[in-house]
Amino acid sequence: MTAVLEIKDLHASVEGKEILKGVNLTIRQGEVHALMGPNGSGKSTLGYVIAGHPHYEVTQGDILFNGESILDLAPDERAKLGIFLAFQYPVAIPGVSFANFLRAAVSSVRGYRDRVREEMERTGQWKEVGSELIPMREFRRELLETMDRFNVDRSFARRYLNDGFSGGEKKRGEVLQMAMLKPKIAILDESDSGLDIDALRVVADGINKLVADGMGALLITHYQRILNYVKPDKVSVFYDGRVVLTGGPEVAHMLEEKGYGWVEEHLEELSR
Amino acid sequence: MMTTKTMTATPISVAAVQAISDRYNEPAWLRQARLAAWEVFAATPWPTYKEETWRRTRLTGFKLENYGLPQAPERVYDSREALPADLREELAKIDSAGALILQNGRVVYHELDAHLMEKGVVFTDLRTALEQHQELVKVHLGAQVPATENKFAALHNALWHNGTFLYLPPHVVVEKPLQVLVQQDAGAAHFHHTLLIGEEDSEAVIVEDFRGAREGMSDSVAEVFTRAAARLHYLRLQNLDETAWNFGTQRISTGRDALYRHLQASWGSKLSKVWIDLELEEPGGHGELLGLYFPQDHQHIDHHTNQNHRVPHCTSDLLFKGALDDHARSVYQGLIRVWPGAQKTDAYQKNDNLILSDHARADSIPGLEIEADDVRCTHGATSAKVPEEYIFYLMARGIDRRTAMRMIVQGFFEEVLNRVPVPGVRNKLEAEIAHRVGIE
Repeated sequence: MTAVLEIKDLHASVEGKEILKGVNLTIRQGEVHALMGPNGSGKSTLGYVIAGHPHYEVTQGDILFNGESILDLAPDERAKLGIFLAFQYPVAIPGVSFANFLRAAVSSVRGYRDRVREEMERTGQWKEVGSELIPMREFRRELLETMDRFNVDRSFARRYLNDGFSGGEKKRGEVLQMAMLKPKIAILDESDSGLDIDALRVVADGINKLVADGMGALLITHYQRILNYVKPDKVSVFYDGRVVLTGGPEVAHMLEEKGYGWVEEHLEELSR
Repeated sequence: MMTTKTMTATPISVAAVQAISDRYNEPAWLRQARLAAWEVFAATPWPTYKEETWRRTRLTGFKLENYGLPQAPERVYDSREALPADLREELAKIDSAGALILQNGRVVYHELDAHLMEKGVVFTDLRTALEQHQELVKVHLGAQVPATENKFAALHNALWHNGTFLYLPPHVVVEKPLQVLVQQDAGAAHFHHTLLIGEEDSEAVIVEDFRGAREGMSDSVAEVFTRAAARLHYLRLQNLDETAWNFGTQRISTGRDALYRHLQASWGSKLSKVWIDLELEEPGGHGELLGLYFPQDHQHIDHHTNQNHRVPHCTSDLLFKGALDDHARSVYQGLIRVWPGAQKTDAYQKNDNLILSDHARADSIPGLEIEADDVRCTHGATSAKVPEEYIFYLMARGIDRRTAMRMIVQGFFEEVLNRVPVPGVRNKLEAEIAHRVGIE
């Protein structure tokens, strides 16, 4: 079954200020959907709301994953369904190694943790610490293979999560996490920002491989640049908390030519 | 709550001081030192909040008359195999060159690699050292922490019963760690004295693990001498029962080009007041002070440190990290003091606190007192809750909230843990942290 994420008339606010003002958008597995818009239009907020950030309040509308609302689910439950948010600014967590973090995440998303919990409840017996994790040997092999396949340096595994990472390393780290967690739908929030051309190629190449494996991607971006490397199936234009235009790749080219000023000038027409 | 053991214990008084000297037929100098210390103790008023060091730590509920001196245990063990399983397992956690178990001040087990004895290493209890190396003990005992230091040091100097003694002859390197388990019975007052002497160019790692003292008190002193180019690493694990009162005074002096490393892990006790003074007395000395604490419930943990740079060209580096849960409180008070003429001093002091509960509170008072003009001194303190952004990031990867919190707290301590060189000690520390974040 092809997974579908549908956003329907979504309104969300933060501290009483409405940021999302009726978003309608559909993202399908295996598709690349670019979401383009000027800074401050609420694109990142959309990513956070889909992932379930507690800071934002959904006031109207719904988010459906395969037809079921996910609004009541905690962020970790959404991740377990197969939704992934690649952060624009990944958080650095000192003292937590990339490998340990990723092992915990993989174990959780693939159900190891829940299976152990269910078994403990059923039998009334405690399982030893570590049994809720994917076996070390299996995890290590998969991690090394994935790092090689996605051009991520093996030293990442031992380093603390995003701690002291350059901008490019952080974005590669997000791609590595995505490759290990194998989401059905990924929201990539400005994954191209702040990257030199080499890093951009690595990140774009990673996205393309995962899409080829069947992932659906919502590519949030301000610029057209990454779309030279990741070919979108659909392009939506985001403006002032809403999608104002959806079309094929030609929309991106038109935007590049005419700029976001054109969107503002033709807002009324587009909204019709 | 009193236990039967306490009923038979000797009450604390000048008679008890005399009784200790009588019982062990102590030399006159020691008897006099004890009685003089008792006089200092009797003449010193109990601390009040008017003293800066006691401003944030109250002794409400502490009554010395509730505690007596403990009874010596009857059983001793002559091999590891003969030890009770819990002690045997505890010793096995650290791959050591020597081990000492004291219970209520009596040696119940002792071992030391034969080749170290041949090299002249003395690793034994303080009372045995007093019998066999009286001059060494006489010169060093009370030289760092005299009775006049504070009321608890005075009480300790009057009543110490036994302790840890380590003497490293010049140029001797002890490759594996030495370990001491200090077992303290319930309801009693315990006075453990640690005396460590590293002669020129010697090297060792020593671990002391303090346990027990349920409904009791522990009043310890540590005096450490690291001579020229000596390299000494002293790890103190305070795992006392969470009903114990704990007081400690520790002072370390470093010789020329000495390298000294210290860890204080304060897990247990109902209330702890611990002073740690690093005295850099000869040029080229380097000292590191690491601290860990994780109070829960109503525990109160107070550390007061000094990095005393008396001479030029010394470096010191302090890092104390604590997490606080429930209604716990911590106090960290620290001073970097650079004396006139102590040029090229490089000193660092940092205290970080992670607050896990709305009711927990960490007070941090770092300080600098600099009387030289060509120095580099840095200090800082932080106190923060776990950032929600950290939790969200981990949850967005499928990790549940509780696990996310645990990972962040364990990560917070990593900065100290990865500077602990003994794998067995690191495992013990990790297990204690894991236990406190709810992983059994």
